Amino acid sequence: MPPPDDPPSTTTTTRTSIIDSLGVEIVGVMSPVSICMLLVVLILTSLSSPSTTSSTSPPPVTAATLIYVESDSDSPSHKLLGAVLDAAAFVALIAAATFLLVLLYYYNFTSFLKNYLRFSVFFVLFSMGGSIMASLLQHFSIPLDAPTSFILLFNFAILGVLSVFSPAVPILLRQSYMVSVAVIVAVWFARLPEWTTWVLLIALALYDLAAVLCPHGPLRILVELASSRDEELPALVYEARPTDSSHPVSPPASTPVASLGSVEMQPVSEASNSNSSSVDEEERSPLVSSPPVVRENLSNFNHEQVRESNNSNHAVVEMETGESETLALVEREGFRSSSNSDSEFEMFDSTRGIRLGLGDFVFYSVLVGRAAMYDLMTVYACYLAIISGLGCTLILLSVFRHALPALPISITLGVIFYFLTRLLMEPFVVGASTNLVMF
Amino acid sequence: MTVAAGVGYVLIALGPALSLLASVIAKKPFLILTLLSSTLFWLISLIILAGAWRAFLPVKSTELWPYSILILTSVGFQEGIRIGFWRLFKKMEDMLNAFADRVSKPRLFLTDKMLLALAGGLGHGLAHAVFFCLSLLTPAFGPATFYVDKCPSIPFFLISAIIALGFVIIHTFSMVIAFNGYTEGKRKDQIFVPFAHLIAALITLINLVPGGCNIGLPLLCIMAGTTLYYSWQLVWRRLTEHQTTRSSD
Repeated sequence: MPPPDDPPSTTTTTRTSIIDSLGVEIVGVMSPVSICMLLVVLILTSLSSPSTTSSTSPPPVTAATLIYVESDSDSPSHKLLGAVLDAAAFVALIAAATFLLVLLYYYNFTSFLKNYLRFSVFFVLFSMGGSIMASLLQHFSIPLDAPTSFILLFNFAILGVLSVFSPAVPILLRQSYMVSVAVIVAVWFARLPEWTTWVLLIALALYDLAAVLCPHGPLRILVELASSRDEELPALVYEARPTDSSHPVSPPASTPVASLGSVEMQPVSEASNSNSSSVDEEERSPLVSSPPVVRENLSNFNHEQVRESNNSNHAVVEMETGESETLALVEREGFRSSSNSDSEFEMFDSTRGIRLGLGDFVFYSVLVGRAAMYDLMTVYACYLAIISGLGCTLILLSVFRHALPALPISITLGVIFYFLTRLLMEPFVVGASTNLVMF
Repeated sequence: MTVAAGVGYVLIALGPALSLLASVIAKKPFLILTLLSSTLFWLISLIILAGAWRAFLPVKSTELWPYSILILTSVGFQEGIRIGFWRLFKKMEDMLNAFADRVSKPRLFLTDKMLLALAGGLGHGLAHAVFFCLSLLTPAFGPATFYVDKCPSIPFFLISAIIALGFVIIHTFSMVIAFNGYTEGKRKDQIFVPFAHLIAALITLINLVPGGCNIGLPLLCIMAGTTLYYSWQLVWRRLTEHQTTRSSD
C-alpha cells in the first residue's frame, strides 16, 4: 500500500519520488561528455570551411602517422594497410609509455610525474590551444591584437595548470579546464586522415580491452599497485560532484583518497587511515605531449573509482581506473572495507562523484568529430551510440565490480552506428525527407 | 539564408520540445536518461527499416505508390516497436518499484509514470526532428535558400521544420496516450495512436503532388492538434479519477 497521502490539492508537485534523484551521477558524467563533444563538433565544423579543405596541406607528422601518411591517390587496400600499420605503431607507443609510467610509479617518482603533468597541461593549453585560438580568430575575423591575445592565452594556461592540480580551486573551474583540455586534444587528433582515425580508434579500443583485462596488462598492474598502496592513481580525471542536498557540504578537496592529507580531509583521514603519505594529494596524470613535430601518444591515466556506498538512495559509484587513454573501471576492496568501518569516512566518500578519465573524453570526441566531417546525421547517431555505450559500461561496472575498460563498448557502438548510418540510413532518410515524405 | 534563418528554422522545429525539455525533463535526471534511451530506440528502428529498404532505394519516380508502401511498412513497424517499448517500460517500472521498496520510499506515482511516457515520446519526437529535419538544415545557415519542385511557394527548410514540429507533437503525446491505453487496457486509446500516426504520415504523401504542400501542412498541424487535444483530455480524466479515488480512501 502506498503511504498515506497528503490532501490532494498540491501533493503531486511537492511529494518527492524516487525518479527525482535517480541517475544524477550518470547524468553528471554524461553532461560534460556531451559538452565536450558539442564543442569539438562546433570547432571542427567552423574551422573546416572550404578554404581549409582546398589547401590540403600534408597532415602533421605525428606519432599516428609515423609509418604511412594517407593521401587521396592511394587505393583503398593500400590506405587500409597503411592505417593498420600506423595504428599498430601508435598503440605500441602508448603501451611503451604506459609501462614506463608503471615503472616510474612503482619507484615512487611521484613529484617528477606531477611536475611533468603540470608542464604537459600548460603545453596543451598554451600551444595547442593557442593554435586553435589563432585559427578561430582568423576565421571569424575577430579584431584582437597579438599582445593581448598572448597575455590572455598565457593567463588561461596558467590558471589551467593551477586549477588542475590544486585542491583549493572551485570544482566548476577544474571541470571546465578538464573539458577544455579534452576539447583541445580532440580537435588536434581529429585532424588525422580518415582511415587512420577509424583504424586507430578501433585499435585503441582493443588495446584498452587487453590492457585492463589481461593479467599482465599495464593498467591492471597500475591499478593493483595503487590499491595496494591505497593511493590515488596518477591521472588527469574529470570529477563529477553529486549535488546531494541530504548530505552536509562536501569538502572542496578534489582527491578522494584519504591517505593523502589535504587540509579539509585531515580529521577524517587521520582517523581512518594510518599510512598517510606526505605526498600532496594532487592527481598526477602523465599527459605526455611533445612539440608538434613528433608527438608521442597521450598516456593519460584515466582514473575512476567505483564504490557503492551503503547509502542506497545515493548510489555513488566511484570508478577507479588507471590506464593510458582508456578507462578501466575497478573497485578497490581495501578502500571499501575501511570506508564501511568509518561512518565519517563513508559520508565524505559518498559526496564524491564519479570520476571519468580524460582520455575517454578525447576519444569519444574524436569519433564524433570525425563523424561531423561527413554529415550531421552521423554525428547524432554516433553521439547516441557513445552515450548509450557509456551508460552500458556504468551499469556493467555495478554488476561486475572489477576493472572494466569503458572505451571498447562506446567506440564499437560508435563505429558501427557511423557506418550503418552512412551506408543504410542516409539514402533512406534523405530520399524521403527531400520529397517531404516523413513518418 | 544566414545564421538567423537557420536558428529560426531549428527553433520552429524544436521550440516546444526544447521548452518541454527545459521545464519538465531537465529537472529529473532519470527522465533525461529515459529520453536518451528512447531516442536510441527510435534510431535503431529507423536503421532496421533503412536496412530493409536499402535494396529498393533510391526511389526513382515520385509517384505515390512506392512511397505509400514505404510509409505503411515504416509506420507499421514503428507502432509494433512501440508495444515492445511499452513492455520494456513495464519492466522498468517493476524494477523501480522494487528499488523504491528496498529504500523504503514511495512507489511510482501516476504522474511519474506519465512523465516517463512523456519523456519516452519526446525522445521519439526529438529523434524524428533531428534525423528528418535538422540534419538537412545545414545549408540554411548559408546565404541562400532552397525550394523543392513540388512546392515552389514555401522554402524547403520551412516546410520540413513545420512538418518536424507536427511530428514532434504527435510522437510525444501519442506515447502518453499509448502507455495509458495499454496500462488501462482501453481499446479506444490503443487504436487511436497507430491510426493518428498513419494518417499523419499519409498526409505527408500529399506533398508529392505539385502544390500539395499547401494542403498537406495545415492538415498535418490539425492532426497534431487533435493528438494534443486527445492526450490532454485523457490525462485530465486520468488525473481527476486518480485524485477522486485517492481522496475517497
